[in-house]
Amino acid sequence: MDSQTTIPATSGAFAGDLRLPKTVRVENLNHYFGEGELRKQALYSNNLEVRRGEIVIMTGPSGSGKTTLLTLIGTLRTVQEGSLKVLGNELLGADRDLTVRLRQELGFIFQAHNLFESLTAYQNVKMAAELVGLDPRIADGRIKSLLTRLGLGERVHYKPKSLSGGQKQRVAIARGLVHKPKLILADEPTAALDEQSGREVVTLFQELARDEGCTIIMVTHDNRILDVADRIVNMVDGRIKSDVAVQETSVICEFLKGFPLFSDLTPNTLSEVADKMMVHEAQPGDVVIHQGDPGELFYLIRSGSVDVLIDDGAGQKQVAQLERGQYFGEAALITEEPRNATIVAHEKSVFYALEKKDFRAVLETSATFEEELRQALFNRQ
Amino acid sequence: MTVNQKSKTPLAWKNLTHDWRRLVVALVGIAFAVLLMFSQVGFQNALFDSQVKLIADLEGDIFIVSKAKFTLAAEKRFAFVRIHQAQSCPGVLWATPVYSELTTSVLRKIEHGKGNRGYPIRSIGFHLDVPLFKSKEIQRQTRRLHAPAVALIDRNSKPKKFPLPMKNDQALSGSSVELASQKLTLVGTFDMGTDFANDGNLMMSAENFARYFPHRKRFGDPLSIVDIGVVKVQPTYSINDVHKVLLKTLSKDVFVLTRQEFLDKEILFWDKSTPIGTIFLAGKIIGFVVGMVICYQVIYSDIADHMPEFATLKAMGYSTRYFIALIVVEALLLAIVGFLPGTLASVGLYSWLGVQTGLLMQMDRYSVAFVLAATILMCTASGLLAVRKLLAADPANLF
Repeated sequence: MDSQTTIPATSGAFAGDLRLPKTVRVENLNHYFGEGELRKQALYSNNLEVRRGEIVIMTGPSGSGKTTLLTLIGTLRTVQEGSLKVLGNELLGADRDLTVRLRQELGFIFQAHNLFESLTAYQNVKMAAELVGLDPRIADGRIKSLLTRLGLGERVHYKPKSLSGGQKQRVAIARGLVHKPKLILADEPTAALDEQSGREVVTLFQELARDEGCTIIMVTHDNRILDVADRIVNMVDGRIKSDVAVQETSVICEFLKGFPLFSDLTPNTLSEVADKMMVHEAQPGDVVIHQGDPGELFYLIRSGSVDVLIDDGAGQKQVAQLERGQYFGEAALITEEPRNATIVAHEKSVFYALEKKDFRAVLETSATFEEELRQALFNRQ
Repeated sequence: MTVNQKSKTPLAWKNLTHDWRRLVVALVGIAFAVLLMFSQVGFQNALFDSQVKLIADLEGDIFIVSKAKFTLAAEKRFAFVRIHQAQSCPGVLWATPVYSELTTSVLRKIEHGKGNRGYPIRSIGFHLDVPLFKSKEIQRQTRRLHAPAVALIDRNSKPKKFPLPMKNDQALSGSSVELASQKLTLVGTFDMGTDFANDGNLMMSAENFARYFPHRKRFGDPLSIVDIGVVKVQPTYSINDVHKVLLKTLSKDVFVLTRQEFLDKEILFWDKSTPIGTIFLAGKIIGFVVGMVICYQVIYSDIADHMPEFATLKAMGYSTRYFIALIVVEALLLAIVGFLPGTLASVGLYSWLGVQTGLLMQMDRYSVAFVLAATILMCTASGLLAVRKLLAADPANLF
């Protein structure tokens, strides 16, 4: 039998063949605020993995724990319970030296710009370059090119007092990026920016992710920049409600659309279906479905291929081969009859599977649906 | 610009000088604390220095006083014979008595035939043939003191009690004064200063002294009892050796003290046996604490106002050591820059108080060093107190 996992299909864990190292790994993370009777839990056993070069957008209502999680990842809070690994270092019980060292590899962009009023834009950015011991000449070039890139070329030597809110925010962004951090943590980085400079900032983020393998985790409510996200994490009440690889979800939706019964579903419903699918893996020769068994799951082939075998009493006969993007196992779920064929993995394959109850729930969302379905099945025969 | 790019950003300096209003307030605060401490130190030094000014002005290496004389102002005397005994000891160049009188030494200024009520003044009598005083001014005027009924007056004597034309010798000798109800001519002035027991000084020959105070010994020669015996050691002898010999030779009713012992004994009396030492200690502590509170306020509010920025630095990976160094540099800059105006103001205060009180308000290098050290200590201590929160808290809690 195939190996069932608890990994959601939309997590993107099996999206590419490349399994990039994890920049951040959150496991069973709890966090509390306050002491004694006032102690209040802010995060409830959160799990999250972020790979190198990914851009993750965290959303959710205010007070849902996004910023708390972000600051925990950034070593700005002490980890209390669970495990949190950043760039390979466990932060639970980490000593001060480790956190100080680690912080130098991170780039922070805060909601407030927090610039020193006494220093010029250039000097504020330079504070970050000095810390990591960047060669002054290289630093000088980087500071100037970053500030120029962010539209502040004319204002390099201005003090924050003479800069607008958006300009100050861009200086703070330059400060967060100048030392080429491996992980950028940004809290509403574009909140104070107009559309154009916000776009410039996220384009810069994308370049850093693509060219330098920089990982970016960003808390934002700014839906203008959602398109840059590789992954969108939604938090509600201290829990990660959904953690979705955008690219993978759209791939799944595209596949699902190829299934006639689902072709009329709205993108919204499709992505909800995608959310409910789980990853299954199979080695060559593994039997995924036995003819005659009761139907439990609906399968979508993410990668690899399977052979469809039917035993008509006179022996097993291969009737078809199904490939990436195709699906199987739907008939038994619709007709409530036993499996009408055996499916064997032809090579190492990955499937996304939807449980019967979820499958039926989708079907029942519209009355016309079942009708269409029967029509479709009828046409098939 | 090139220099700026090569060196580290001088954040402490930039933060201090960024807001000049805040800087001025800070400096005024610290200068005030410096002034407070200087005034306390100054008063205490003035008290002690003034109390021992007579000793300091006397030539001589070893001093003899009655065992009952717990302070210079106590009118306890010893027999003249001790001076003779000291004189006969080997290594003694000379030994001479100093006579002093306060309670019966009332100086009155007579104007238009009427005298004011008169105030006590310390009269000092000495033998003119001995170079007893270090002051060149006194040595120069010694010959004038040979005449009967003449004396020199301390021009720092309290002007309210002794309103005499100190600046004009001619006018001074013309003014008619009475000492212990006998006519006195003032033939010149010298510089000694008042202290807490004495509002002024007169200096005269032993013979004149005997004339004005014949009753200081109930029966017999008024010069047969001595207030202070001064011994000068021959240059070829060691003071310590002669001191030992005198200790052995002289009877146990007198103290035989080296100059330092005499100074220490007198200062110890004022410091420990009167409430004065404690009062000034409290004054210094209060000055220090007030200064500390001011510094703490200044530095704390500076850190508190920039807490998000500092927290950002901490989040970037700046270490505890960096922040401590930053605050110490900031505190040192404040201490030194605040110390200068504070010291200038104190110099002004000293000279004003010196004129007003006749006390010796001196800014010697010990008190300057003491106040500077205290200022630096209070600035850095309050800086470190103020920075504790930044060091202890998670950066996320500081925004």
